[in-house]
Amino acid sequence: MSDPRPTVFVVDDDASVREAVSNLLESVGFDAKTFASTEGFRNAPRPDSPSCLVLDIKLPGANGLDFQEALARAGISIPIIFITAHGDVPMTSRAMKAGAVEFLMKPFQKEDLLAAIHHALERDRVGRRQDAELAVLQARFDVLTSRECEVMDLVVDGLTNKEVADKLVISEVTTKMHRGQVMRKMMALSLADLVRMSDKLKNRDRR
Amino acid sequence: MVQDLIRRYTLSAAFVSLAFVCTLFLQRFFPYPFLFLFFAAVMASAWFGGTGAGIFAVLVSTLVVAYFFVPPYRSWAITPTALSYFAAFVVCALVVSWVSSARRKTEEALREARDQLEIKVSERTAALMRTQTELARLSRVLSMGELTASIAHEISQPLTAVVTHGQACLEWLSGSPPNLEKVHQTTESIVRDGTRAGAVIDRVRALFRKEAPVKDWTDLNGVILELTVFLRNEANVRHVSIRTQLLPALPHVMADRVQLQQVVMNLILNGMDAMSGTGQDERELVVRSQKESGDQVLIAVEDSGAGIAPEAAEKIFDPFFTTKPHGIGVGLSISRSIVESHRGRLWAVPRPGGGTVFQFTLPVGAQESHV
Repeated sequence: MSDPRPTVFVVDDDASVREAVSNLLESVGFDAKTFASTEGFRNAPRPDSPSCLVLDIKLPGANGLDFQEALARAGISIPIIFITAHGDVPMTSRAMKAGAVEFLMKPFQKEDLLAAIHHALERDRVGRRQDAELAVLQARFDVLTSRECEVMDLVVDGLTNKEVADKLVISEVTTKMHRGQVMRKMMALSLADLVRMSDKLKNRDRR
Repeated sequence: MVQDLIRRYTLSAAFVSLAFVCTLFLQRFFPYPFLFLFFAAVMASAWFGGTGAGIFAVLVSTLVVAYFFVPPYRSWAITPTALSYFAAFVVCALVVSWVSSARRKTEEALREARDQLEIKVSERTAALMRTQTELARLSRVLSMGELTASIAHEISQPLTAVVTHGQACLEWLSGSPPNLEKVHQTTESIVRDGTRAGAVIDRVRALFRKEAPVKDWTDLNGVILELTVFLRNEANVRHVSIRTQLLPALPHVMADRVQLQQVVMNLILNGMDAMSGTGQDERELVVRSQKESGDQVLIAVEDSGAGIAPEAAEKIFDPFFTTKPHGIGVGLSISRSIVESHRGRLWAVPRPGGGTVFQFTLPVGAQESHV
């Protein structure tokens, strides 16, 4: 792994469990940060490295499942692994539908917890990579002129230069010039590459 | 029916005859015929024989009076002066008959209402008792369920910590060189969390143990009979018949009645549970009491259930060991601690022909104990 050391956040109101989970994570080389409450986690700084959250369902004040939704509403995306002493099917299905990585019953096995953490970190890593790529694409897209944006939209929809020229009521030569500028500014290697970039930008908007 | 009718009218005739004889006798002392005894005869006839007998008495009395006591005597004729006197007699007799029979009817209606009320009350009482038994069972099941959830949570926290620390410990040991300082710290945590789990169990056991047993001379046969009545409905629901084989004049023991009730009830309910899984039609639970040598009494509860697997036989008395899907595993453990606190012994043996016999002994002279 070339990226910085991953962080595992642990939120459990039981001090013994907190300490034990942190000890186990440390023993296999993770950086663990523990919190007794969800507020503690919310107020803590989040490093710019892959991370995931091990969250107890039964917490004083906020319920873990509600907290999962609150994080999603606040636009904080962090993969969550739930741990609970007595879970049931409705709880599990609610957690998994809301995008939890895993739902573990206490006492859990080391293999299950570590597998879930690896899975969660991988998911976060992919998410981060996609976010970074998007940020780059967005920066390139932002320097396009409005006419260039129009040309790009039509070109990725599969229109020929002539069709684009007719649609925008400009000459074919001007269209070719705009198209060349779009390809250069977006650093697209081919038309297919440009279509992919456009898709990613549109998907981001939908998210 | 006909006999009853004859009896009533004969009685009525007897009353009138008695009045006639007495009046005939009294006539010597009074200037006028003393007719009031006929009213008494009518009243008695109406009371004991009903309306028909009352009217019959009025009729007979009227004839008798007309013939014997209204001038001219010993003749059916009536002088005009005596007519109003005679008419007054007839009217009075009719009224007396009517009042008496009406009164009688009211009394009978009242008595019937009271009897019906009694039947209703006893029916209601039986229904209430059934409801109460059901409630007792429900509350037992409910509180067990809640208790299980809370105990599960209380114990699973430190247990999770112990397991997780243990796994971390293995990781620290497997490094080269092993991180002994971490191993040391982790092991200390394991000891601490394990102790915490133990403390939870101690608290639960204290919860089930009565603090100060109240000991008195107790008739165990009485305890058993009470419980078989109390659990009859439960037994019916589960298609189990409870049979008792009690030694008459079983020596009384010095014991806490409520605690022993709990033990016997536990054993009976366990026996029913053991038989619920078997498909047999004949589910019989036998509760025996007998005297043992060395001044001991023995109570045994026999079921014809599946029996106990040999590997479970050692553990059934351990706290939180259970073979039931929804059991909590404290019944036998508590029962044993109660019996032992009475200086007795509780154990299980396989029943010849299938099933299990749970039995306990108590010393007849049991006086002192320490819980």
